[in-house]
Amino acid sequence: MTSSLLKLASSTTGLTSIVAKCSPVLVSQLHTSAPLCRVVSGKYRITKKRDRPLTYEMANPPHYIAHRKSWNSWNTSSLKDGLRRSETVVEDEFIRRFMTGTWHGLVCSEVIIKRQFNHIRVAAIIRRAVSPTKMYFLLGYSEELLANWLQCPVTLELQTVESFKDVVFKYI
Amino acid sequence: MSIFIRNYKPGPLATLYKANIWRLNSTTAESSVKKDEDEEEFRVLDILKKRDKQQKRIVRRTDIQPDRADRMTENQNWGNVWPGPKTFHPSSVPLPLRQGYVPAGQAPPAKKANAELMKIPNFLHLTPPVIKSQCESLKQFCTEWPTLLNSEEAIEKHYPVEVITSDYCHASPSIRNPLARVVTLRIKLSTLDLDKHARDKFIRLVGDRYDSSTDLVTITADRCPMRAQNLDYVNYLLTACYHEAWNVEEWEKDKTEDDMEYYNWDNNASKKSVVNWYLAKRNEQRDLTEDEYRSYDISVIPNAEGYKSAVSSLMNDGESEETVNNYGKAVRKLLGLPEKMVV
Repeated sequence: MTSSLLKLASSTTGLTSIVAKCSPVLVSQLHTSAPLCRVVSGKYRITKKRDRPLTYEMANPPHYIAHRKSWNSWNTSSLKDGLRRSETVVEDEFIRRFMTGTWHGLVCSEVIIKRQFNHIRVAAIIRRAVSPTKMYFLLGYSEELLANWLQCPVTLELQTVESFKDVVFKYI
Repeated sequence: MSIFIRNYKPGPLATLYKANIWRLNSTTAESSVKKDEDEEEFRVLDILKKRDKQQKRIVRRTDIQPDRADRMTENQNWGNVWPGPKTFHPSSVPLPLRQGYVPAGQAPPAKKANAELMKIPNFLHLTPPVIKSQCESLKQFCTEWPTLLNSEEAIEKHYPVEVITSDYCHASPSIRNPLARVVTLRIKLSTLDLDKHARDKFIRLVGDRYDSSTDLVTITADRCPMRAQNLDYVNYLLTACYHEAWNVEEWEKDKTEDDMEYYNWDNNASKKSVVNWYLAKRNEQRDLTEDEYRSYDISVIPNAEGYKSAVSSLMNDGESEETVNNYGKAVRKLLGLPEKMVV
């Protein structure tokens, strides 16, 4: 989606739909099942003391995606006729778990995964709780291991903050 | 082992002696001796366990460098600061950016620690001066556009065959997309060297791939797994159809009037009757063969050309008010009757 250079002539658009009809592998299936726990998922309850810290991401419930907040994964798989849907989702989940585990207690935001061609950019906000030396080690370590597992160049683009309080948007 | 040594502790000399003996026998002897010497100092009863308490860890914060954006000069080259696509980083962008939805009256979250700014793809590496310089450096690889191909018509004339393929860019470890194999070839039928019979046969061969309104033949191939194979295949199809169109088979001579795809006035009874009528009018008695009827030059008959086109359009384009009126006018002209009076 970031750069979809589609040199598609008007006459071939009809053809692609025919191709999509013929081969079920290439077709986007429309899921019409209702989302589970629509009312409570991704939403936080107000505490009595109003002292639960929320980041901007947490403060906006899921139905505000694309309105008040944007996606945490950016790739072309979710587009119409996109390729490698399930693989992309599983890989993204793996990257998220690996990041939060490797940078234990340091990741202050959601892990943002942006894919450009075969390049995976992983962005996150990190707390400055460990020494820069350790941080540099973790950076190289995560990039090297992820690149080896996913067989893609992986770049970690991190932003550091003093403490978790810097990312707090509001208290509820 | 250490207990044994402790029991024999009369003097330092003896200890050393013993230790030397033990050192011959065991590798752990040396460490035992050292431990022994440490324990010589007076032991204090530590009820509150003050010594065992862990030393409080001193949190040493390293000096945080000031933002790079604060040290930037106004006349710097931004392309060097942000050379390629990158996630937004607040300390390198000297812009007072804010992003986020807040209730009215509040300021949106600033650029620092703002995950929303990190999510959206930015084009900070594609500022107009950078694009300009990149185009300048790419110019050396470009060739001049041919001057004779200055219009669409010229391009169509010199390159009549149009090959349409699609390239797909997507975020994935593989650059392959199965849809990229589809190849479409388009050509104007008038640009092919075909005679009347060959053109008719070509249209019959390609079937619904020919669009009569635009005169375009569109051949699409997606049966092969690779684009090059499909390209070869569409070229083969065009070549095969072209040469097959020029072939005249033995059975094609059996084509009767019923098999005609359109109404040909010269082959039909209408011409025969016009010629007969013309000959009778001039009091000529001639028995003409079928071929003679067909090749009879109707330009000698006054107004016969108009009659021919009127009948042909009536038969080919179908019966409508316009064609019927035209036919009526043509008949009046041919027979020398007065024009229809509009009452």
